[in-house]
Amino acid sequence: MKKLIIIPAYNEQESILDTVRDVEKNAPGFDYVVVNDCSKDNTLQICRENHIHVLDLPINLGIGGAVQTGYLYAYRNGYDIAAQIDGDGQHDASYLGMMADELISENLDMVIGSRFIDNEGFQSSWIRRSGIRFFTFLMRVLFGKTITDATSGMRLCNRRTMELFIRDYPRDYPEPETVARLLRHKYNVKEVPVRMRERSGGVSSISARKSVYYMIKVTLAILMERLR
Amino acid sequence: MMSFRLQIILVVILLAALAVIIAMLKKRTLDLKYVLVWLFCLIVLLIFSIFPGTMTKLARFIGIYSPVNMIFFLGFLLAVTIIFTLTVSLSRTTGKVRKLAQMMALENDTWEKDKKEAGTGAGVNADHEQAHEELHLQ
Repeated sequence: MKKLIIIPAYNEQESILDTVRDVEKNAPGFDYVVVNDCSKDNTLQICRENHIHVLDLPINLGIGGAVQTGYLYAYRNGYDIAAQIDGDGQHDASYLGMMADELISENLDMVIGSRFIDNEGFQSSWIRRSGIRFFTFLMRVLFGKTITDATSGMRLCNRRTMELFIRDYPRDYPEPETVARLLRHKYNVKEVPVRMRERSGGVSSISARKSVYYMIKVTLAILMERLR
Repeated sequence: MMSFRLQIILVVILLAALAVIIAMLKKRTLDLKYVLVWLFCLIVLLIFSIFPGTMTKLARFIGIYSPVNMIFFLGFLLAVTIIFTLTVSLSRTTGKVRKLAQMMALENDTWEKDKKEAGTGAGVNADHEQAHEELHLQ
């Protein structure tokens, strides 16, 4: 069983090394690949110096394009399971083994690490939680399934899902939209409780200014998914 | 009716635009595929400017009182159409560029693997540089 961890990185020079070390130490049996989305800082140099396996995108594609590159790599190289975690150090790689077991034993298409099942660890700000709760509500109404943390960037999937992701993957803010797509196709999606940390470096891609745009865009994307 | 002065101005502007487009086509700065719709647009507007009579009838039929407004309305419609087709082709191009960048990243990655497998021989580095040069030549 070949398993790959995809780590998209855009300007993550402070945290990328820790993230990779965490993966190497706490996710035995997994290979990993960093996808450098044309970072402007020293992310690439740090990866090269430390002999970290890195796919280097020649132009900035946005988080979606970067993650999709990872899925493309996983699919082409015959990986059975592909996981993604963020490059900013907020995800704990030690959960991935458990998530993979879950995926295999319950024959799932995707396992999502959710902060909001046990409500432990870093819970994000009140305003963000409300946004996430709104997505939970929206998806329950549209697809009849409860996803407590659709925005989670810690996910694990099988080859069937990879095929779907390779064909089409949103450019930015891809997580909720892709979960909605899986639900529309009646794929088996399950959430497991995880703890997350506060990001150890870098800046979130969703600033306060962009959050309105984010909510509108993602809501529209989920609605469009229902119409397809 | 449209004043003779406006008629002249319109015709001059349209002819000038036509000349510019044809000149750019000659130099291949513009792709014929995208230019066809512009040419069509210019020619329609030109016909209406030279023969305002045809336009008056059409304007009456649609319910526009002044034929000049008809010209502006038509120009606006055509412009919006062109902008929309551009948005469509931009979306497509974005998808293609993404694919291209991803393939390039994957391709470059296998090079590096080969390099590691072959050890640190100078020959491998030379191959690598050569490949880079080929990329530039293309």
